[in-house]
Amino acid sequence: MDPKLAEVSQLFERFKAACAREDVDTCCNVLSKLKVLLTGFSSLPPLFEDTPNAIHELTLARDIYEHAVLLSVKIGDQDAFERDFFQLKPYYTDASSSRLPPSSQEYMILGLNLLRLLVQNRIAEFHTELELLSSTALENPCIKHAVELEQSFMEGAYNRVLSAKQTVPCKTYDYFMDLLAKTVRDEIAGCSEKAYGYLSVSDARQMLLFSSDNELLQYIKELLLPVLYESL
Amino acid sequence: MTEDVEMKELPAPSNSATSSSPSTLNHLKEIASLIETGAYAREVRRIVRAVRLTMALRRKLKAQVLCAFLNFALSPGSEPHNRLAAHLPKEDEHEMEFDTATSVSQSPVKHPLPELEIYCYLLVLIYLIDQKKYSEAKACSSASVARLKNLNRRTVDVLASRLYFYYSLSYELTGDLAEIRGNLLALHRIATLRHDELGQETLLNLLLRNYLHYNLYDQAEKLRSKAPRFEAHSNQQFCRYLFYLGKIRTIQLEYTDAKESLLQAARKAPVAALGFRVQCNKWAIIVRLLLGEIPERTVFMQKGMENALRPYFELTNAVRIGDLELFKSVAEKFSTTFSSDRTHNLIVRLRHNVIRTGLRNISISYSRISLADVAKKLRLDTANPVADAESIVAKAIRDGAIDATIDHANGWMVSKETGDIYSTNEPQIAFNSRIAFCLNMHNDAVRALRFPPNSHKEKESAEKRRERQQQEQELAKHIAEEDDDEF
Repeated sequence: MDPKLAEVSQLFERFKAACAREDVDTCCNVLSKLKVLLTGFSSLPPLFEDTPNAIHELTLARDIYEHAVLLSVKIGDQDAFERDFFQLKPYYTDASSSRLPPSSQEYMILGLNLLRLLVQNRIAEFHTELELLSSTALENPCIKHAVELEQSFMEGAYNRVLSAKQTVPCKTYDYFMDLLAKTVRDEIAGCSEKAYGYLSVSDARQMLLFSSDNELLQYIKELLLPVLYESL
Repeated sequence: MTEDVEMKELPAPSNSATSSSPSTLNHLKEIASLIETGAYAREVRRIVRAVRLTMALRRKLKAQVLCAFLNFALSPGSEPHNRLAAHLPKEDEHEMEFDTATSVSQSPVKHPLPELEIYCYLLVLIYLIDQKKYSEAKACSSASVARLKNLNRRTVDVLASRLYFYYSLSYELTGDLAEIRGNLLALHRIATLRHDELGQETLLNLLLRNYLHYNLYDQAEKLRSKAPRFEAHSNQQFCRYLFYLGKIRTIQLEYTDAKESLLQAARKAPVAALGFRVQCNKWAIIVRLLLGEIPERTVFMQKGMENALRPYFELTNAVRIGDLELFKSVAEKFSTTFSSDRTHNLIVRLRHNVIRTGLRNISISYSRISLADVAKKLRLDTANPVADAESIVAKAIRDGAIDATIDHANGWMVSKETGDIYSTNEPQIAFNSRIAFCLNMHNDAVRALRFPPNSHKEKESAEKRRERQQQEQELAKHIAEEDDDEF
């Protein structure tokens, strides 16, 4: 096998081992080394040259970027997620049409990206990404989950959003679902402010899904803090 | 020209068939001479007129006529002639020779102008596309584009932009649009460098069409926002640009801008372009539904569009009533139409609007209604309808769609009384916006009065004036006949 390819594969094995051990620092270091080595291959985007090892190199690069994306979810770094996802996207759109076999994690990562856009309230980009998906992709549970979540969010059925946390298709979604829960809570608070003339504490606690009254009072204090500062 | 038509329709022996095609041939020769004079005098208007005359002749083009014309315009045996003639099918050999003999004896061999060569390419391409020979059209158009890259004359620009259009069309009809994207981008760069504004416009539209064909809205928007914009040279290109812009804006959830662009495109389009107007109207209807307004019935009853707009009419009905069940059944019934129009995702977004409309109706009709009843009326078919209904109503109140409050303890929704609207500032604001709109339209109309360039420079001689008046008469006749087959 090509010596460069062998080196990259070895390093990749080390990376996967570090991931399994949850050793985040080693993972990040090895990942940066891997990315530098990948620039040596000319069969990758944006050049897409037809070298003899092209398919092998492309598959390897795609695996590396998929792991990078999952790593960024684990450490909670949304910027890194965005960067790595953009690097990964050409492998799904351009390369797949020609030669690569489809990746098993493709739909999960696409669903993750949709969820991320929803959490960051970039609804326009969410819909643009949605247009790019074929109808078979839309049937996939990971993606369907994200789409239904967006619909419930738009309609205002926030309780459905919060209950969807139980029905995530895979564990990696948990990070974004937690962020979403926070956003939803703010939305519910905003709506309740306008809609209810009077609401008891126990009802409020139930609606906002707090487990105790203290948490609720803490939350209210945080909300009112900017108002208090202004009145001062 | 009417006499030619009558002659053709008679059950004619082969003699009169050949005698009718020379008159088409004569027309083509006239057009060729028009192009020559235009090229020598550097007047682009003549070339535009030549192209318009060609479009009128489009139906009458036949292989032998084209061969004869090629022999006339380009010296037979020269390289351009061989390249072009290779694309034409070899029919009726003896007829061709008869025509060749007459035409060659009539005209001396001349050195072909580049404009004439490009014009011949254009003719052959139109003929091939009309005959549905798409793969040959593809080959011919690629050859012509390669030839165009070497030419840098303003008089060729009009012909060039037509060629680009047919180039893209031939690739689209064979399903290979992605291949030419790189070429189109390079051509756009070249057109910008040469300040070829018509070419820039045409190529930008072709690129947008290319991206939108593959649903690449993100890239289309990036291109559109960075490309240089200027006053539209061609009405048809401007309409297309507005339509593509409207589509992009719709997907990006900017419905007000989208509605403006789409309605403008539908209005500016020529009456003959029925398919284009139908598409514009379909998207405009959906955008208006997404904005929360119901389009009037007259929109669906426009001439020639009733059948095509039927699914959208039923959809509008479902949204107007606010009935989720009906909406779902309509969406399923016409799902194939919606998928082929690529509006399927937008229809899914409409569900939210259906619920809002239903909620608004309920809030107006009931002063107090329990949330369980609201859920039943809206036909929310979810696991926990009452809690859903409560959240939905709360959001609607916050967004200002309905005027009500929720009583959580008793589980009902109480609507507020609507006060006297004339005592507020609302009427004044509405009047202000209407007046501003009318004034804007007036200003745009004044600005749109265009004067022909260089008109203040040279005094017209009597001959030029006669020619200009003749051109204007012809133009008026074309517009009146609505036979204008411009692309």
